[in-house]
Amino acid sequence: MYKFVVLFICMCSVISAEQINQLVINKNVERTIDLTSQLVKITATITLENTGKDTVRNYLIVLEPDTVGNLSYISVKDSLKEDLKLTPSKVEKHEKDVYSVQLKQPLATGRTAGIILEAVFTKGLVPYPNSITQKEKQLVRYFGNHYFYTPYATSKQTTSVTLSSRSVESYTKLKPVSQSDSTLTYGPYSDIPAFSQDRMIVHYENNSPFLTVTRLERLIEISHWGNIAVEENIEILHTGAKLKGPFSRYDYQRDTGSSHHSIKSYRTILPAAAYNIYYRDSNGNISTSQVRTRKDWIELELRPRFPLFGGWRSSYTLGYSVPSYQYLYRKSSTEYVLNMRLLDHVFDDMHVEELETKVVLPVGVTEVQIKTPYEVQRLPDGVTFKYLDQFGRSVIKLRKTNLVEQHIQDLEIVYHWRSGLLLLEPVLLALALYVLFIIVIIYVRLDFSIHKPEHAKKE
Amino acid sequence: MLGFGKKGAISNSAEKQETLLTLSILTLAAILSFATRLFSVLRFESVIHEFDPYFNYRTTKFLAEEGFYAFHNWFDDRAWYPLGRIIGGTIYPGLMVTSAAFYHLCWLFNITIDIRNVCVFLAPLFSSFTTIITYLLTKEVKNAGAGLVAAAMVSIVPGYISRSVAGSYDNEGIAIFCMLLTYYTWIKAVKTGTILWGTFAALAYFYMVSSWGGYVFLINLIPLHVITLMVTGRFSHRIYIAYSTLYCVGTILSMQISFVGFQPVQSSEHMLALGVFGLCQIYAFVDYLRSKLTKNDFDVLFNFLIYTVGILFIVVFGVLTLSGKISPWTGRFYSLLDPSYAKNHIPIIASVSEHQPTSWSSFYFDLQILVFLFPAGLYFCFSQLTDANIFMILYGVTSIYFAGVMVRLMLVLAPVMCILSGIAVSHLLTKFMKNTDTAKPSEHKKSKKLESNYVLKNEISSAFVGVICLLLISYTFHCTWVTSEAYSSPSIVLSARSHDGGRIIFDDFREAYYWLKMNTPEDARIMSWWDYGYQITAMANRTILVDNNTWNNTHISRVGQAMASSEEKAYEIMKELDVDYVLVIFGGLTGYSSDDINKFLWMVRIGGSTDRGAHIKEWNYYSSSGEFRVDKEGSQTLLNCLMYKMCYYRFGQVYTEGGKPPGYDRVRGAEIGNKDFELDVLEEAYTTEHWLVRIYKVKDLPNRGV
Repeated sequence: MYKFVVLFICMCSVISAEQINQLVINKNVERTIDLTSQLVKITATITLENTGKDTVRNYLIVLEPDTVGNLSYISVKDSLKEDLKLTPSKVEKHEKDVYSVQLKQPLATGRTAGIILEAVFTKGLVPYPNSITQKEKQLVRYFGNHYFYTPYATSKQTTSVTLSSRSVESYTKLKPVSQSDSTLTYGPYSDIPAFSQDRMIVHYENNSPFLTVTRLERLIEISHWGNIAVEENIEILHTGAKLKGPFSRYDYQRDTGSSHHSIKSYRTILPAAAYNIYYRDSNGNISTSQVRTRKDWIELELRPRFPLFGGWRSSYTLGYSVPSYQYLYRKSSTEYVLNMRLLDHVFDDMHVEELETKVVLPVGVTEVQIKTPYEVQRLPDGVTFKYLDQFGRSVIKLRKTNLVEQHIQDLEIVYHWRSGLLLLEPVLLALALYVLFIIVIIYVRLDFSIHKPEHAKKE
Repeated sequence: MLGFGKKGAISNSAEKQETLLTLSILTLAAILSFATRLFSVLRFESVIHEFDPYFNYRTTKFLAEEGFYAFHNWFDDRAWYPLGRIIGGTIYPGLMVTSAAFYHLCWLFNITIDIRNVCVFLAPLFSSFTTIITYLLTKEVKNAGAGLVAAAMVSIVPGYISRSVAGSYDNEGIAIFCMLLTYYTWIKAVKTGTILWGTFAALAYFYMVSSWGGYVFLINLIPLHVITLMVTGRFSHRIYIAYSTLYCVGTILSMQISFVGFQPVQSSEHMLALGVFGLCQIYAFVDYLRSKLTKNDFDVLFNFLIYTVGILFIVVFGVLTLSGKISPWTGRFYSLLDPSYAKNHIPIIASVSEHQPTSWSSFYFDLQILVFLFPAGLYFCFSQLTDANIFMILYGVTSIYFAGVMVRLMLVLAPVMCILSGIAVSHLLTKFMKNTDTAKPSEHKKSKKLESNYVLKNEISSAFVGVICLLLISYTFHCTWVTSEAYSSPSIVLSARSHDGGRIIFDDFREAYYWLKMNTPEDARIMSWWDYGYQITAMANRTILVDNNTWNNTHISRVGQAMASSEEKAYEIMKELDVDYVLVIFGGLTGYSSDDINKFLWMVRIGGSTDRGAHIKEWNYYSSSGEFRVDKEGSQTLLNCLMYKMCYYRFGQVYTEGGKPPGYDRVRGAEIGNKDFELDVLEEAYTTEHWLVRIYKVKDLPNRGV
């Protein structure tokens, strides 16, 4: 057995993969799987112990190789709720979805430490049946693992699954398991070897909105006159169970219950300073929206033109302006810093499939530096012309796929700009008008006629 | 006006003052005419109105994006399925080209305006131009003072506003400007007799032809003017030059518009112009001969020529008409001459409300005091006959006739009403204003002399001026009121007052069109009555069977037959036409009265007007007492036809008004007669929030053996 381990370690070092320290064990894992919305949110509180002789600096997180759904966001915090650094890595047999966590303080022999893993998966809940009639409830299935998937041996673990409703069609019963209200509790299980897998299936009713933003184009336009305009072009799709058969307005109007799988409206949160808000689509203004001003934000209740049923899509444009002093800072005489959200809130528990953020910088900007909160794809810069522009404005384009609420973070752009450029266009306009008037004045005073004007003869 | 710089010091300052006053009045009038048309934008939003403007908007967008050649060669497969429509060859492109030009001009200066906004604000912009051109035209006819009054009047005349509010993006919006521009250049040409102005007139005429089918009125009015001048012995070289230039250049240019094509030399509507052109040549030739020959020789030659040419003309005309080279007189033209023609012969023309004869009240509604001032203006024109005045008289008299025949031609009448009223008001005011000048009567000996002839001269004059002012003020209020109440609703968004005084907005049309756009297959074919065709293609971007360009009567008739037939019959027709969705407008829940049930009799009539729909008889849809009813008394044919079923599907369970049974139709004021039924061949796909638009999906054919 010992030989095997040695061999194994040697092999690992040969393929330059990270080695799994078998002497680290998970003393206790408490896992919560939150299935109340369209997302799968897994939070695991892990207490790990170093049973070896060397101090441990890294802890490996490996995601199950065949999960249903896509990992959108992952973060690890220590017991003080401070973020720990995650770096993608590799281990034997697992090429993808392996992360190495750098512990804040190296774990000495025999010591324990607590870390909190948070992961959000999209498309992890599959409607089953995949098409329902208007009156039926929406049922979804979740495919998971009874055990916490980890490269280390685990002494003890419990899992609680939070569902959105009490009605559960079926769930796998790996004892001990219990259901109370809308929570399933699996475990405690003890002494589980590394990489254990046992399929967990929960089939339950979930009428929370299954709304996906298939594409979000966010356009931020900076004006040094004191205004930043934001416009979001949003395409949404109801990704829950598809509507089977007719849509009856009569039934829809009679059914006033709040939990329905169709989506009537949702809330979008805008910055508190937002003004000039508009909500429109290619056919004009959508008159069914309400703005409520809260203390720290503006709440917008948006109703799409029509209620969304499974498989129905819609799109709209939401735009507003914010004063620039809250987002644009002057670092030195010619250096400016913009701090704007790369992605903003669309609705609670949102899932954005594709985001493209464009930032239109003022005319004549140089030395642009971008700092993104997470890795994004930078598309080639564009040029755009706005009102009376002589030289174009450079447009920074950033793209990322598969985002959730946790991705609402600030983007920082630093650039150099001379404030004198602000006057360029007004001066040009004034000059143009001046020249025009001069020409008119000269023209009026010239006489092009080859004969004497007629009025000279009168009187 | 601007050109007179070098002058004596005293007249110079007076002239300058006058220029300033003229310019400021004109500018104000132009701004006013733009501003008064913005009610709908302020109340609703910057949105295109009604039906036809949506088509124009769609084509303009295409032109702005794809360029002129793509537009010119555009075959639209989204309309008239399965026939399609050649857009480039079947429209007047002037409007679209104008907007696209504005659009590109703005973008040239990097003013990033949306093409929709260009379209929305084009008609108000052009009405500002109309104000200015009205001033110029009236100034040519009478004087600058009359011009200013006319310009101020035309800027707010409801008859013109009705078709040029912001968002009402239709041909007429720019055509009135083009028409007045042509008249202005024509009168200039008549007055000066130069080829330059004749060519300008031809260019203006070309712009007019490219923008509106109403150019036919213009190309008949100008020859009529020429004939009248001939008859009254005012024909001269000036007119010969003006008309020959206008006709030759104008006709050649107008034939460049592919929709017009060879009509100017073939169709009978243009024959007057051609005939007068010939007549001009003969007249001039005869004059020439008369100056060269003796009286006797001339008479012989004249008689011979008259007979030969007359007989030849009749023979050629007859042959061409019989052989079809000269197109038979079209229905719309007949309905101009004989208001009852269309009603009796072509249901599709009669079904359009704007083709109805005008009621007397709408003259007052659209023109107010102009109705009374118009005869006065005519009188003043007669009292001082000039070539230009004769033109105005002709324009006024003919257009008042056409406006009486067809409601939409009120538009043509409105400017001339303003011009003639402007002449009248200006004439009267100049006359009486002089007399109110009481401050220094002793300074003028002449006025003192005259004064002795009248009693209470000052008082009467003041009173008269006061009355005129009152009239003008009432005109202003009336125009503003009419504009705000009657002509400023986009009709795509409806609004109503709720019980507590708040405003309820019915945005159902756009809701339904957007649903179609988002949630039906890209190539889905939608059947609806033709009224909604343009809106569906523009807003939902889906293929439709028939639209507001009612060029194919049998196709529309086929749709009418489907709507009027029972479900099984309709299913056959729908399958034959590859229909995927059917859209109906239903106002029974909200009380929206221009819905499909109220239009239904037209569907029956049009459906029954062709051979294949011969089995559809209008009287089958009336109750035994001869009424059109949707309640239990209604005819069984009506209660079981497709349209009825689609409108009232599941409506029988809905309570619409307190104290009324379920299924109470608020438009017809009756409880519907056929309540509990299921649809066999259709299924409800979508119904809007207020049930205004209902969309049904046509089910597939059942599998064999099931």
